Amino acid sequence: MSTHTEHQAPQGREPLDVNDPRLSRFDIVQEGARRDDIEIVHYEPQVVPGSKAERRLTRTVATMFLLTGVAATAFLAIYIWWPWNWEAGRGGDKYYTPLLGVTLGIALLGIGFGILTWGKKLLPKEVSIQDRHDQPGSPADRRITGETMLYMADELGVKRRPLLGISLLAGLAPVGAVVAAPLVGGLISNPHKNNQMFTTGFKPAEDGKRIRLVREDGRPIRPADVSVGGQLTVFPGIDGGVSNKHADSPTLLIHLREDDAQKSRAANERKGHGDYMWGNYVAFSKICTHAGCPASLYEQQTNRLLCPCHQSQFLITDNAMPVFGPANRPLPQLPIEVDEEGFFVARSDYTETIGPDFWERP
Amino acid sequence: MKRRKFDAAALPAKTAGAVDDRFQVATPLRKLLNKVFPDHWSFLLGEIALFSFIVLLLTGVFLTFFYEPAMTEVVYDGSYAPLRGTPMSAAYASSLDLSFDVRGGLIMRQMHHWAALLFMAAIVVHMLRVFFTGAFRKPRETNWIIGSLLFWVGFLAGFTGYSLPDDGLSGTGLRIASGIILSIPVIGSWVSSSIFGGEFPGTIIISRFFIAHVLLIPGLLVALISAHLGLVFKQKHTQWPGPGRTNENVVGERMFPRYALKQGGFFMVVFGVIALMGGLFQINPIWYFGPYEAWVVSAASQPDWYVMFLDGSTRLMPAWEISIPIGDGYVIPPLFWPTVVLPGILVGLSTMYPFLEARRLKDYKHHNLLQRPRDVPARTAVGAMAVSFYIVLTLSGGNDVIADKFHISLNAMTWAGRIGLLVVPPLAYYFTYRICLGLQQHDREVLAHGVETGIIKRLPDGRFVEVHQPLTPVDGHDGHAPALDYVGWVVPKKMNRLGALGPAIRGFFYPIEKPAEAPVSPGHPPVEPRPEREEIGSGESRR
Amino acid sequence: MTSDNDRRRGLLARLRGRPVARSRGRRRLGAAVRLAAALMLAGGAYTVFAPGVQAQDNPPLSAAANEGKALFDVSCVTCHGRNAQGVEGRGPSLIGVGSASVEFQVSSGRMPMARQEAQAMRKPPQFTDEQVRQLGQYIQELGGGPQVPQGDLREGANLSTGGELFRINCSQCHAFGAGGGALSSGKYAPSLKPASDRQIYAAMLSGPQNMPVFGDNQISPQEKADIIAYIQETLKHDQDQGGFNLGRYGPSTEGLAIFLVGIVALVFASLWIAGKS
Repeated sequence: MSTHTEHQAPQGREPLDVNDPRLSRFDIVQEGARRDDIEIVHYEPQVVPGSKAERRLTRTVATMFLLTGVAATAFLAIYIWWPWNWEAGRGGDKYYTPLLGVTLGIALLGIGFGILTWGKKLLPKEVSIQDRHDQPGSPADRRITGETMLYMADELGVKRRPLLGISLLAGLAPVGAVVAAPLVGGLISNPHKNNQMFTTGFKPAEDGKRIRLVREDGRPIRPADVSVGGQLTVFPGIDGGVSNKHADSPTLLIHLREDDAQKSRAANERKGHGDYMWGNYVAFSKICTHAGCPASLYEQQTNRLLCPCHQSQFLITDNAMPVFGPANRPLPQLPIEVDEEGFFVARSDYTETIGPDFWERP
Repeated sequence: MKRRKFDAAALPAKTAGAVDDRFQVATPLRKLLNKVFPDHWSFLLGEIALFSFIVLLLTGVFLTFFYEPAMTEVVYDGSYAPLRGTPMSAAYASSLDLSFDVRGGLIMRQMHHWAALLFMAAIVVHMLRVFFTGAFRKPRETNWIIGSLLFWVGFLAGFTGYSLPDDGLSGTGLRIASGIILSIPVIGSWVSSSIFGGEFPGTIIISRFFIAHVLLIPGLLVALISAHLGLVFKQKHTQWPGPGRTNENVVGERMFPRYALKQGGFFMVVFGVIALMGGLFQINPIWYFGPYEAWVVSAASQPDWYVMFLDGSTRLMPAWEISIPIGDGYVIPPLFWPTVVLPGILVGLSTMYPFLEARRLKDYKHHNLLQRPRDVPARTAVGAMAVSFYIVLTLSGGNDVIADKFHISLNAMTWAGRIGLLVVPPLAYYFTYRICLGLQQHDREVLAHGVETGIIKRLPDGRFVEVHQPLTPVDGHDGHAPALDYVGWVVPKKMNRLGALGPAIRGFFYPIEKPAEAPVSPGHPPVEPRPEREEIGSGESRR
Repeated sequence: MTSDNDRRRGLLARLRGRPVARSRGRRRLGAAVRLAAALMLAGGAYTVFAPGVQAQDNPPLSAAANEGKALFDVSCVTCHGRNAQGVEGRGPSLIGVGSASVEFQVSSGRMPMARQEAQAMRKPPQFTDEQVRQLGQYIQELGGGPQVPQGDLREGANLSTGGELFRINCSQCHAFGAGGGALSSGKYAPSLKPASDRQIYAAMLSGPQNMPVFGDNQISPQEKADIIAYIQETLKHDQDQGGFNLGRYGPSTEGLAIFLVGIVALVFASLWIAGKS
């Protein structure tokens, strides 16, 4: 290509006069690239103008764009007219979201692949080479910049006037603290306020009244309400007891079978918790001592209690000792008895700390 | 009155002139439009993350219009009958409303969640690409660190967002997070109490997470992503070795028009895939989980996939507690090691890796050319080790689901994970290392002896040999083809791959074609290649 | 009540006399025996009078029970023994387990077991509904125990209450979508998807295998109706709102999907975009 022979010496050539009327637009583009140290070494149209291939590609791209239009219109129509309110069963509303997704997806993919095909197939292939220029600055430049900065330090004279530096630091340090103070001061909260980490909703009331065990709807529980081999999630019968306000209080009340109850009683006695059970009933904290999930997968035959979060397993008949998994501490046991009216009450609060371990847990 | 004739054709030029008069953009814009980007499919992985982040911003803004970050108790009265009359937090109720009572709200929620998963997945895949090709080496260590930070900030963004609906599953996750914070020695209970505003769960955590999720973390992400892209721009992209490609140049396409078009198209494709997934695949059906209640849990409680490795490490950790018998006694619970110490080590190792490798190899040069993983067996093997470590942890994070669906004992799964965590990574190291060496060897053999043709020839002395197709012409002296040097790029291993490789510049295995063969358009005449490019090979291996 | 107390004493004596190491199945049924005993002792909401005091006395059986006995003597007697007294090391006594337990185990195909294993699996049932009823009637008349009531078990159900009760009592093992979950050492909570109303009711009443017992004293028949309605209508019948539910395994399959669908699709797209045309 004779017109391009003069471009083949990239270094040390004269810049073109871009106002030369004989230059094509591409010549100017190429000149611009050269001025950015870019050599367009390969630039090759992929389709011959007016060829069959070009017409086919044009049609393909146009089809994709039109498909986008159709899909987007369908999206709008579905958005407006499709029944979308939730109804029980298998009605048309269940297809609302999928249909929106499909139409929106097709619309976006249509435009995406249209543009991609346009750029990939219809535009000329090119290979350009650009110099990186990632050499460090010249030693002279480095020195100049360095000296300039040191010069600034000289002029400020911190070395000669140390008091300025010291007083500046002394003055700024408290300012830094001032920035942090409202944030820290506002957020900080004493974890041991009201001894909250070591008490639960089962703590007897001020007047010494024992707290009842209640169900999720607030009903107190009689021994007959729990089947043998059954479990019941119970809460402290206080205001807000069945709520996240007392997130450490949910307790699992289990009615053991006779032989298991004997084992459990024996284990209790070994631990000095001889009077924690009432009859064949035991109550253990539902909050896992590992990470705080509700450990509540009770296997009534094996008397294992599994926590679904990290698979710690506790043996109920052995003071809920962990027998597998990452938990290291038995579930705390709630001492229970039955009050005069025949309802379960907590004899006292838990005697061990509920929930995940922490540094200062005694 | 006669108006001056309006010349529409001159308008763009006039406007452009006026803009340049005021802002002097012509020169910098030319530089930008002319910037050259190398082209390889693996360079597009990071873009998936970038584009899903944009989708996250778009859908996220929509969600904020309807979401109420409050833990005040309300009684649900929306369309979804199976929850009507249930007391719940305002946050959960508004998330339900977003799903059932805001037209098109559910697809926005699902797209947001899928985009978040895709964001994290693309970050990881992109990070693997950068690692295994050595793109993190000097001068790009800073960008590697920024990228690693992006994973962790994205992790926080994901976790805070996951917690916002305040449903049963996310509340359980939040409970575990509070347990993790509590496990930090000395300050744990104070930090937890300060974050939750008292004892877990308190009444403020959702609004704190909300502002973190919609302002602080996205702000940080935008800043980090800008720095990440800015550095890619400044330092220019790495490229694969190949003909004409050196450590000092970039070979590829100019930003305008083709590269920009491809990027724009790819954004639409990413957006489209997220839209399809958001519509077709249900994600996080919060209405089944119910409101968060401290006593409610579901079997198979898992976090999103990018948190699962932490859940896995927690499950595998033996119950080792450290008691310090001073005063009333102090404890470091077993939860501390897999959830605080392990991520700390991972952050440290991953950010420091470029420096560790440079130190070990005493390599402080600039590297703009990528390496094929097989050419650096030690690094590739270390990477395989890290990946297998991560995969064992992630699988263990879902070990109850695996145990249940494949009828394996849960306890056996835990033990398999514990043993696997110690055994699999060294094995991965060893086998990867051997595989890399084997691949290297094969490359060298092909370069020296040619491609296996599958044709068996019987020699006069009765031996059978396979005919190899040399990659270079046989020179006359001894009938052997001279061996080619390995240049760090793909070597054809099959006959039908000869010439089909298509390196960026023709001329790798066959001479540069005369442009006359190519169709010529008057506007865009083909350009002659640089004359100084030397021709490598010819003849036999030519198509 | 004297006869009941006698019976209870007899049962307890039998329990004590038993060796410590028992198969899980035996323990489960032992639990049911003691459940029945406890129910009677407490005079709770659900007491069933056994027609005969001692099963050995061959009390007069109803026609259906006689049919059931005939079936029992063919298919069950090998493990559960003559008159359902149990066979040491093979099968537990069925005295006092009630027709609820029979209905659950037999109609879900768990019984008869093909072999002794840790946990009986659901199989295609071997008996027709009528035969199950007859077997249940036989066991019921033999030793009493909990029964699944007749009629619509979801009558007047409140889905919202059912959902709440399901999440407190059931989802920890059977998972939020009722797909089941793993328990310790290879045991598992089965998926509720194939379970019928009566089977769910019977399971709550009898506490099969390792499932805790949710007697009518603990979860009232109305609450059971709520739970059953929630499982059957909301979890099983209602279609998912947001497209394909990926099996409702939670975030595990979602994570799998983002890699297998999202990342794979986009990697193929980038291969195409950067590929040579």
